[in-house]
Amino acid sequence: MRKIMLIEDDQQILEMMDVLLRNIGYEPVLVPDVLEALERVRTDPPDLVLLDIMMTPMNGWEFLERVREKYQIRSLPILLFTAAPEVEEKIALLNDPKLGVLQKPVSIPELRAGLRRFLPD
Amino acid sequence: MGDQNSLPRSDAISHTDLVRFIVILSLTISCIVISAVAFSRSIPYINYQLFFIPIVYAAYFYPRRGVYVAAICGVVYQAVGYYYSFPDGVQMLGVTTEALFFVITAIIIAYFIDTIRSGEARYRTVFEHSQLGIVLFSRENFAIRQTNAKFASMLNFSEQEIITSTFTDLLVNEREKERFIERIDKNDETSDFETRLAAAGGTPCWVNLSWSRIDEETVSCTAININTRKLAEKLNNDNMMKYRQLTENSPTGILIVQKSTILYANPSFSAFSGYLPAELTGKELSEYIDKPDIHRFREFATHWSEQKPIAGQGEFRFVRKDGEIRVGVLFTNPIIHANKPATMINVMDISEKLRLEEKIHMDNERRRGIIITVAHELRTPLQPILGYLNLLISDPQGFSIVDDTKKILERCLVSVERERLIINQMLDLSVLESGKLQLSLASSPLEPIVQSVLDAGGYQTKAEISVSLPQGITLSCDRDRLYSVFDSLISNAINYSKAPRKIEITYRTEASDAFHHIAIRDNGIGIPQESLPYIFEPFQLADAAKLSRKYDRIGLSLSIAKKVIQMHGGDITVQSIVNQGSTFTIHIPKEVTDHA
Repeated sequence: MRKIMLIEDDQQILEMMDVLLRNIGYEPVLVPDVLEALERVRTDPPDLVLLDIMMTPMNGWEFLERVREKYQIRSLPILLFTAAPEVEEKIALLNDPKLGVLQKPVSIPELRAGLRRFLPD
Repeated sequence: MGDQNSLPRSDAISHTDLVRFIVILSLTISCIVISAVAFSRSIPYINYQLFFIPIVYAAYFYPRRGVYVAAICGVVYQAVGYYYSFPDGVQMLGVTTEALFFVITAIIIAYFIDTIRSGEARYRTVFEHSQLGIVLFSRENFAIRQTNAKFASMLNFSEQEIITSTFTDLLVNEREKERFIERIDKNDETSDFETRLAAAGGTPCWVNLSWSRIDEETVSCTAININTRKLAEKLNNDNMMKYRQLTENSPTGILIVQKSTILYANPSFSAFSGYLPAELTGKELSEYIDKPDIHRFREFATHWSEQKPIAGQGEFRFVRKDGEIRVGVLFTNPIIHANKPATMINVMDISEKLRLEEKIHMDNERRRGIIITVAHELRTPLQPILGYLNLLISDPQGFSIVDDTKKILERCLVSVERERLIINQMLDLSVLESGKLQLSLASSPLEPIVQSVLDAGGYQTKAEISVSLPQGITLSCDRDRLYSVFDSLISNAINYSKAPRKIEITYRTEASDAFHHIAIRDNGIGIPQESLPYIFEPFQLADAAKLSRKYDRIGLSLSIAKKVIQMHGGDITVQSIVNQGSTFTIHIPKEVTDHA
């Protein structure tokens, strides 16, 4: 079972995604605290990270930069999981082949397609 | 004497002439009778002297005819004399001598009179027909002695009326009278004294007077009418006044600058700069330009010397006396000031406009910020709803969901999906309207775009769609954006019609036409004429309730589609007949540059 780390501070979404990911055959790792997530991507790396953007004390972009630049973890697929607009335009500029976006709210087919892009069966 | 013909003369016989003629005739006849009697009685010495009376009289008034009278008298006198003195040769010779003497006397008188008369006549003619007004007046009391027709007509008086007045009374007012008297007391000879004379009818006449004393008590004065010149001067002055008023009252700043030195600044510029006009004149205009703009300003100023008008090319920041920054647009125009080339600069204060623009920009940004936040806040709670619905519907058995419940859940899902679509469109439109979006233009064949829209949407299963697009048409466009435009228009065409649906997609253009025209025609419910202007409006601002209830599924897709095509430099137009169908036409330029 592929491990999907969900970094998200919205409890409702965390709970729902837990059920959803399990249902479509993934092992969710729920991390509501972004700083803890920063630890765990190094100590216990998942197969993919679903990353919310609007979080405190560190937002998704800062997390991304830390992981990619400071920890040099470049092969870990990260899907930005956000309701914020214009994210696609921004990530197009980063030119990161292991970076994608899932626009909230996401449907099951969309989620499945998004995950498969980086984790083919 | 030959000149006499050139002088004007009346040939009519006047009353005076008639009287003189009778006098001369009767005197002549009397003389003939008397001399005949004298000869017959041999009375000596009174036989011819009497003849001089009519001869002198005639020669004086009519020099040439006087000679004829003398000649006739001479012949008659000779005839009478010969008759009585024949054959006394000595006496006959005396008679001839006396007759010749008549003629000689007449000729001499005629000659002198003629000489005097012709000289006088010439001067009189000059006087009467002069184009200058001439007036002779007394040096003592300025009583007018003589004047010519020109002078009288200048003032619309008759010569008689002029002659009965005094010259000083003709001057228009007391001040002019004093000025004139002062001048004539100082100078017996003056030229170019300009004054106004009172004319009949009220309008004073501007004249240029020159005068000189012609004898102890007479002054001859010539007058030239200078009304026309004065009028021109006055007009010129009026224009100057108008020009001055315009500049003084102009709401835009006006400067006259010579080699970048301010010669004149109007009150508006003074208000704009915060400096008084007096503080500005003589200063370099560049002193008032904000430092960062100074280099650009100097460069701009070099173009003034090219003496070509420059319109609104210079937008510069000025520093006011109080330190505030104002922005002015300069319009320059070459002029001649004090006989030297100069530049007139109109300074239009656009600070307020810029402030407003900035405010509008800020407002738009704020609005966009609100839309983005709201969209974000609306999307987030949709995630659990959408996720759970998906989950339940995807595995009804697992969650022990009966068919009826599943149907309800599916309806919920449709609503959630619609809400998601509207929020996404709202964001899309806000991005499009911000102008931040750049089209990624590339050359794309038209037909495959349409075909892929039809395939992906499965539209061909929902309607009978005929596509007649010529092969080989390529559009310069943002392929993804154009794809969504076609998708919106085709899905609308299907959504707003009932089976059997028929949709036609056609293309037209001409060699001379700069646009491609792609029409999508449906046989749907159509759009009422009064609603047509609003269907492209986001959220259908006008009569929103009425319109959107019927066309609610359009959402923002038409607004977005139109905006996208407008960004390509084209447009979308619509024609519609209720219950017959609508035709949406995309007009997209053959040469596209980003119009965002």
